[in-house]
Amino acid sequence: MSSFIQFNQVSRWFESSSVRFEALKNIDLHIEQGEHVAIIGKSGSGKSTLLNMLTGIDHPSRGTVQINFTDVHTLNESRLAKWRGENIGIVFQFFQLIPTLSIRGNLLLAMDFVGSIPSNARNDRAEALLAQVGILQHADKLPAALSGGEQQRAAIARALANDPPILVADEPTGNLDSKTTEDIQRLFADLVGNGKTVIVVTHETVLNTEYDRIIALKDGAVAADTSRNSPQ
Amino acid sequence: MNIKLLKVIGDLRINPGRIILVIFALIIGLWGVGSILVSYTILGRDLNENFIRTIPPHAAITSRDFNKLDLAALRKHPEIEKVEFRDFATLRIQTHQDEWIPLWLFGVEDFNNLDLARIFDQNSNSRPIVPKDEDMLIERDGLRFSELKAGSPARVRAGGRVIDVPVAGISFDPAQAPGTQDHLIYAYVNKKTYTEITGEPSNQRLIIRFNNVKTTQEVQAAADGLVNYFKSFGITVDTIKIPKFMEHPHQWQLNTLLFLEGSIGFLAFFLGAVLVSQLIAAILARQIRQIGILKAIGASRSQVFQIYLTMVLVLGAISGVIAVPLAVKSGYAYAYFVANILNFEVLTASLPHHMYLYLIAASLLLPVLLSLPAILKGTRISVREALSEYGIQQASVVKKSRIIAKLSLPRNLVLAFENTMRRKKRLAVTVAAMALGVAIFNTGFNVQQSLKDLLSDVNNSMKHDVQVVLINQMPKEEALKYFSGIDNISRIETWNGGRGAMQNMIVSTDSGVGIVALPYNTDLIGFRSIKGRWLSGPSDPEIVMNQEAAKMYDNPAIGNSQLLSIRGKQYKAKLVGIADEFEKPKIYMAQEQYDAVANPEHYINSLMFVAKDKSYDKVLALKKNIEKAIAPSGLQVLYVIMQAERVKIIYDHLKIILVTIVFFALLVLIVSAVGMASATSINIMERTREIGVLRAIGATPAIIYNLFVAEGMIVSAVSILLGLLLSWPLSIFASKFFGNLMLEVELRSSFSKSGFVITLIATLVFGWLASRIPARKAIKVSTREALSYE
Ligand SMILES: Nc1ncnc2c1ncn2[C@@H]1O[C@H](COP(=O)(O)OP(=O)(O)OP(=O)(O)O)[C@@H](O)[C@H]1O
Ligand SMILES: [Mg+2]
Repeated sequence: MSSFIQFNQVSRWFESSSVRFEALKNIDLHIEQGEHVAIIGKSGSGKSTLLNMLTGIDHPSRGTVQINFTDVHTLNESRLAKWRGENIGIVFQFFQLIPTLSIRGNLLLAMDFVGSIPSNARNDRAEALLAQVGILQHADKLPAALSGGEQQRAAIARALANDPPILVADEPTGNLDSKTTEDIQRLFADLVGNGKTVIVVTHETVLNTEYDRIIALKDGAVAADTSRNSPQ
Repeated sequence: MNIKLLKVIGDLRINPGRIILVIFALIIGLWGVGSILVSYTILGRDLNENFIRTIPPHAAITSRDFNKLDLAALRKHPEIEKVEFRDFATLRIQTHQDEWIPLWLFGVEDFNNLDLARIFDQNSNSRPIVPKDEDMLIERDGLRFSELKAGSPARVRAGGRVIDVPVAGISFDPAQAPGTQDHLIYAYVNKKTYTEITGEPSNQRLIIRFNNVKTTQEVQAAADGLVNYFKSFGITVDTIKIPKFMEHPHQWQLNTLLFLEGSIGFLAFFLGAVLVSQLIAAILARQIRQIGILKAIGASRSQVFQIYLTMVLVLGAISGVIAVPLAVKSGYAYAYFVANILNFEVLTASLPHHMYLYLIAASLLLPVLLSLPAILKGTRISVREALSEYGIQQASVVKKSRIIAKLSLPRNLVLAFENTMRRKKRLAVTVAAMALGVAIFNTGFNVQQSLKDLLSDVNNSMKHDVQVVLINQMPKEEALKYFSGIDNISRIETWNGGRGAMQNMIVSTDSGVGIVALPYNTDLIGFRSIKGRWLSGPSDPEIVMNQEAAKMYDNPAIGNSQLLSIRGKQYKAKLVGIADEFEKPKIYMAQEQYDAVANPEHYINSLMFVAKDKSYDKVLALKKNIEKAIAPSGLQVLYVIMQAERVKIIYDHLKIILVTIVFFALLVLIVSAVGMASATSINIMERTREIGVLRAIGATPAIIYNLFVAEGMIVSAVSILLGLLLSWPLSIFASKFFGNLMLEVELRSSFSKSGFVITLIATLVFGWLASRIPARKAIKVSTREALSYE
């Protein structure tokens, strides 16, 4: 029996001039479809490294990562790109929109790369997503013309462009004010309500109650994994 | 519109300065390479085409017995393709008042039926005007340096007579060496007029084309066969002349030019290529994070590759649209320039279609090829690497700056130095490109200096001022008496000489070597020894050869006895020296020896005038006075020539090459300076953010400006130093190489002081501009803009 997302004994170490630094240590992790997961931990605890394993951006030094029955670490670069485009939407903290394209263009580009949305449906889908994150009125502006919060919404809309079942975000609210942070968090919660699996790395100390599960990392290992019974 | 294309256009628009720089570099590169390609295509075929169009003969045979020849029967011979009479005489013609130069007069069998050694009407490929009896045609190149023109008579001197011959029209003979360079005029008359002007019978010279010959050797064999055939009719052949096989006499100049074009073009292209690939690499380096994002949102490597490929193709297309028409224009212009100097017509009216294809392909493919490494590197980078790109690695800088710190240099200079060291690879490429430019530029001057040295050698080797060469030898006193009243003559030395041959001669068809019989102790020859010494006295059988003669006889050993045949007499003499002299093959011997063997009457055939006042104008006046004295005298003069003219003739042969060398060298320097300017610009653009930080911590624009200029100057100083060092071996090689290519002698390598100064100043100015312009731009960026620069 296997979970939707499954880490088996995942380790990741970095070697530099004979010193081996272990960023992740034997991580076993199971995440089910529709879960809203927060990953927390001090700076350098391995949060981003863990997310990279999940998105295929980086590969484990040892152990396996399986997502939706796919062995992510076995995919080659080009298949990985396609798989990622179809299965995972990624949101980063900084610099993620293509500065030379409009917000609409950013969404269209993502759909163009993956090609799973029929081309005549792409523009409508882009507008629907922008409406969903509340920035449809900015569709034809360049990213630089948007505030930080608006840019982050645009990035989320783009991450959803190819309708991936999983959304991961690495400190998406890291440099936003608390009001905007709350808005973004609510947006994620809505997405979970629509059936997406959302995994967010966050620094927030005061944790929003919307998370189903909070995984705390410490020195590359899981220090705590607290699930909250679903209220419904 | 395609969203990927939109992104490409967006990317191109975001940094117009850099994109313009890339396009500019591409245009320069494409333009340069394109014009070379175009002119190479035109020149490479048209000189030869012009030559071949004349249906040039393979050989010319002279005999006084051709009246015994049945030409119709000869034409039926299977080995003969074409044959006709084309008489030939060297006379003299007046170009300006009292200025006479050689006239090469051709007696043509039938102007209406030119089937061999064809000439054309001026500026066209149609038949020439048919001159009536007593009229002549002159070759168009002669119009450039004479007052001759169609419709008015020309003064011609044949033997002792002066005849006015009306010029009926202007012809074009692309098979001849250009008259401007050889300082002579070609003229064409019918047989009757030929006899009238020269006083010689016609039908004494046959020009022949053989069937099935492919080499000079085969022509030689066929000609030998013909000589035997003639013998059977009692026809004695006087001379056989076999020109280079199917090659224009000045093909060597064109070859040199084409080689120069090719090699310099390749170099300019190479430098341009380095520049373009650097710029594109810099653009891509800025896009690394974006590549990470593109991949994170699902772009495969090939999709990323496509995006940047499209970008480069767009750049190439824009550059091509501008550069290709320019290249065609300037390529043609250069071809016309060369054609004009070498006196041939550009026949390539329109370029072959594949040329355009090449040019378009070049504009699209070259940028792709040049940026391929950068694109591949950029697209291969993994998302993780792309997103965690930390920027400039500082580690290697630290060590060096510590060393610099110890030298207690001004803080600004230290900073400039550190910055210069920062991008080591790019710096190396920049310095190498600039150094190469400097080296070639300077080498151009040094080669030019070598050629100038050669000219001054020529000038020094003969110290007379005017030489009169007589057609027939005569008693000394009789020749001298005409010149007694002339001003500005310090003295006149009289020499003799003629054709001779050495027994171990290899080329049997050659008409031999010039024998010069002169006072052994003459001070008119500046003997520069390659080996051995000059003649020691009047009574020893000794000879001195110049290097061309030595080469001709397979470099005989000094001290050995050689058997010479002079005027049918045998003469045995010891070879005592080989002279370094840029001259036709010559053998020098003492007058007394020559007279004893072949000249019992002590006749002379050349008069060497030494002027009192050697200034050009005074010598020219002397020459005119000599001509004036000759005019009524009845003296049969082969030519009268000023030493300065002799030098000028050689100079005129080299001029086009000298000009081209410096022109191309300048081109390379400009391309490398543009390269340096853009490398500095990239450097500065990449550090826009750093400029912001510097400004934020209190650096004034002046400090930043000085910082960048100092950086640029450090780079140019290093480049210039390396370039000048590199130009040393390069000059040695180039002098040898060009000497062999052009003149079949090895030029001594020389150092051009003025060239050095020009190189130094030019490169420093270029270097200064190259760093000043981007530095000025850098300080115009506001602190806020600089800090938010991505
Ligand atoms: N490419 C790498 N090479 C060497 N060490 C690395 C590399 N990437 C990450 N590390 C190290 O692994 C450890 C975990 O890094 P990671 O980025 O996962 O931390 P993080 O929890 O995301 O921290 P932060 O909250 O600051 O983003 C850190 O000590 C980091 O220095
Ligand atoms: Mg992190």
